[in-house]
Amino acid sequence: MSSLMDMALIGAVMASTLRGTTPILLGALGETFVERSGLLNLGLEGMMVAGAFASFLVGFKLDSLMLGFVAAAAVGMILGLLFGFMTITLRVNQIVVGLGITIFAHASCSFLHRVIFGNQFPIMFTAGQTHEVPLLSKIPLIGQPLFNQHWLLYLTFLSVPVLYFIMYKTSLGLRIQAVGETPWAADSSGVNVLKTRYIAILFGGIMGGLAGAFMSLGDLAFFVPNMIMGRGYIAIVVVMLGKWDPLKVFLGALLFGFSMSLTSALQVAGVKVSPDFILMTPYLVVIATLLIFARSTNLPAALCVPYERGQK
Amino acid sequence: MNVPPLIKTAGITKSFPGVLANDHIDFDLFPGEVHTLLGENGAGKTTLMNILYGLYQPDEGHIEVCGQKTRIRSPYDSLKLGIGMVHQHFALIPNLSVLENLVLGFEGGFILNMKDAEKKLKRISEEYGQAIDPHELIQNLSVGERQRTEIIKTLFRGSEALILDEPTSVLTPIEAEELFQTITTLKNAGKGVVLITHKLNEALAISDRISILSLGRKIAELNGDELRSMDEKDATEKILNIMFGGKPIPECSLVEKTISDQVVLKLEDVEVMNSRGVVGLNKVSFEIRGGEIFGIAGVDGNGQKSLCEAIGGQRELVSGRIRFRGEDISRKSVSKRHEMGISYITDDRMNEGCVLDLSLAENAILRGYCQPPYSRFNIIDNTVVDRFANKLIMDFDVKATGPYVRTGTLSGGNIQKFILARGLSTEPGLIICSKPTYGLDARTVNYIQELLLEESKQGTSVLLITSEMDELINCSDRIGVLFNGKIMAILDKCDATPEKIGKLMLGIEE
Ligand SMILES: Nc1ncnc2c1ncn2[C@@H]1O[C@H](COP(=O)(O)OP(=O)(O)OP(=O)(O)O)[C@@H](O)[C@H]1O
Ligand SMILES: [Mg+2]
Repeated sequence: MSSLMDMALIGAVMASTLRGTTPILLGALGETFVERSGLLNLGLEGMMVAGAFASFLVGFKLDSLMLGFVAAAAVGMILGLLFGFMTITLRVNQIVVGLGITIFAHASCSFLHRVIFGNQFPIMFTAGQTHEVPLLSKIPLIGQPLFNQHWLLYLTFLSVPVLYFIMYKTSLGLRIQAVGETPWAADSSGVNVLKTRYIAILFGGIMGGLAGAFMSLGDLAFFVPNMIMGRGYIAIVVVMLGKWDPLKVFLGALLFGFSMSLTSALQVAGVKVSPDFILMTPYLVVIATLLIFARSTNLPAALCVPYERGQK
Repeated sequence: MNVPPLIKTAGITKSFPGVLANDHIDFDLFPGEVHTLLGENGAGKTTLMNILYGLYQPDEGHIEVCGQKTRIRSPYDSLKLGIGMVHQHFALIPNLSVLENLVLGFEGGFILNMKDAEKKLKRISEEYGQAIDPHELIQNLSVGERQRTEIIKTLFRGSEALILDEPTSVLTPIEAEELFQTITTLKNAGKGVVLITHKLNEALAISDRISILSLGRKIAELNGDELRSMDEKDATEKILNIMFGGKPIPECSLVEKTISDQVVLKLEDVEVMNSRGVVGLNKVSFEIRGGEIFGIAGVDGNGQKSLCEAIGGQRELVSGRIRFRGEDISRKSVSKRHEMGISYITDDRMNEGCVLDLSLAENAILRGYCQPPYSRFNIIDNTVVDRFANKLIMDFDVKATGPYVRTGTLSGGNIQKFILARGLSTEPGLIICSKPTYGLDARTVNYIQELLLEESKQGTSVLLITSEMDELINCSDRIGVLFNGKIMAILDKCDATPEKIGKLMLGIEE
């Protein structure tokens, strides 16, 4: 292989790492706050599916990418609200509600897709556009892969330090940590436990919806029912891997994005290994890192425990 | 008095399924006074204060704050009204720092301003003499330090009325002394303090008024100055008479007992690390013989927990050896040691002692649930379990409506009674008990001490860890003093004086 090809391959791996990381990172950042507040949202996968579908449907039909993204955020938020109402207010088991939302989202999106589009998988040609960052994109080698990307990708990466700041340096972050650890003590300190949890799950829902929208309108330009392919669950694993810290979660998501991109690169490069095995590698990487780094996890103590005043 | 009371409750009534916890209680607190609440375990003290603090809503009656009729819907409301509370069980977030815990709930802006908070903390520390490292995580603090953090937290919010629910039960005498100084400062600054305690000497020393609750009703209100003008013994007598309605209080008998020659427990140069990863026990050696009560004195955090856990099996030895009835148990599991007859009664009743979400019956058999007689072929026999739990409840007079109530609904002292009942039920050969009487009312304290003496008379060995000097000296046959993970000295009952022990506890050798 010539060195020019090498360069191109490295560039492609970089670019696709970032694109593969983005939806997982979006979902995982939201889930970080959700879990810190004491909720385990297994509906994240479903929220991503619904976000992908809603954004494509609205964007395609109204021919407006912006409205598509808004729709994804709105649908994510509504599902978050549903999850919150069931688990925070009605105190239904979180695992059941989360899985229920995922199954419901999968089924209803496939159904609606079939009703609206039949057997067609139309492509929205305006979607997936990238934006060059002036100057930075001109840097040789890394300029194009890093600085010629979709706007949501930039936003996602920029949100990492912002969310880190919110988690550790603001009253909201402090309250979220408190209600997920010892809710009755937080209550006794004057924190509204239920409200804080609602804020967290609504945020998590929005992030999940946007993660889906990035898949269908940012990275690709179409919707197929199975496109999320477990990324929501991966995001949940990444949160655990990152020990509920936005910066470490970011590293975890990046690791997963990188191993996914490497798999495609290996396939392109024509490595003689069974393609099934290659497809497995990202998951193997995650399991391996979990085994190494996440053996002593400090789960938020009140994770999955509903709060009711007077039940110490 | 012309000033309206800071807080006033009128006819407060609150019932829980099967219990009337508060029955038309009138209670008030004026600025610049200490109003103490006394009453046996389960009398309804905590419930009344929880209502004032907005954690429960009363079924009947109302609350006035500074003369204004008010509804308090949540702790937030009550904090806004200037009422702060230090709970019987710590309300701190373990994985946050002291400072973060102080500002939580009233951060004063979206972005945390820790610099200002630290300054404020410094000012309060100087004013009230309660210092604490602001950046340490709560989980790394000793109970005494946690208690101090709780108190600073209410001061931090500038509360006018402070409710302190059994603040001294986990403190050493010196820490308690400091706390009383703070309370006096607060009182002189015109704040009102409600103090709940089981220690009558404390109540007598500091109260302006004392109210006594029994079975949810307020049965007496006494004047502090009047009581202080009486002989201390008479005053105590008077209070006890009202509290327990003339029910006899068991006297600690000083019957001679025989300590056998057989060594039941022997520690040889035991070393362990504590949970912070520093040396918890430093070459500790001693032995306990059959029927002996071996007391451990020491300021909290000097290795007591490590000692209990090393013997109980929760903590691995770094070096040394522990023998039980001659057999080396250093590498044996917790359940194996329990089977051999070692019963460990922890002082952390809310976390380690029981599962608050389970019923009393379930907690009763936590250790032996899969063995006969509680279960046969791995199926739990509910009638046997029922009978057993009921027996524990009856024997120790635990205030609960039955074996199937959730353990978390019991009052603090009653949870403690239940844990003791369970720990002593297995006829162990060795009882390790840490602060067995903490949070118990005077009558129950005597009952438990009597029981430990009784057990030892039957030949059981007891390792008694306590911060109560009286309990230590009265019950123990020998006393070891722990300081920095080391046994400073082992004293015989006859040479043990509070002064001598106090000095050794601070690491001062003779
Ligand atoms: N959440 C609850 N649900 C059911 N019963 C309760 C609840 N809280 C308290 N009780 C009952 O109300 C009674 C009074 O309890 P409370 O905690 O007020 O007692 P206390 O005077 O503080 O006792 P202690 O000295 O042991 O702390 C007890 O019988 C207790 O079992
Ligand atoms: Mg109480």
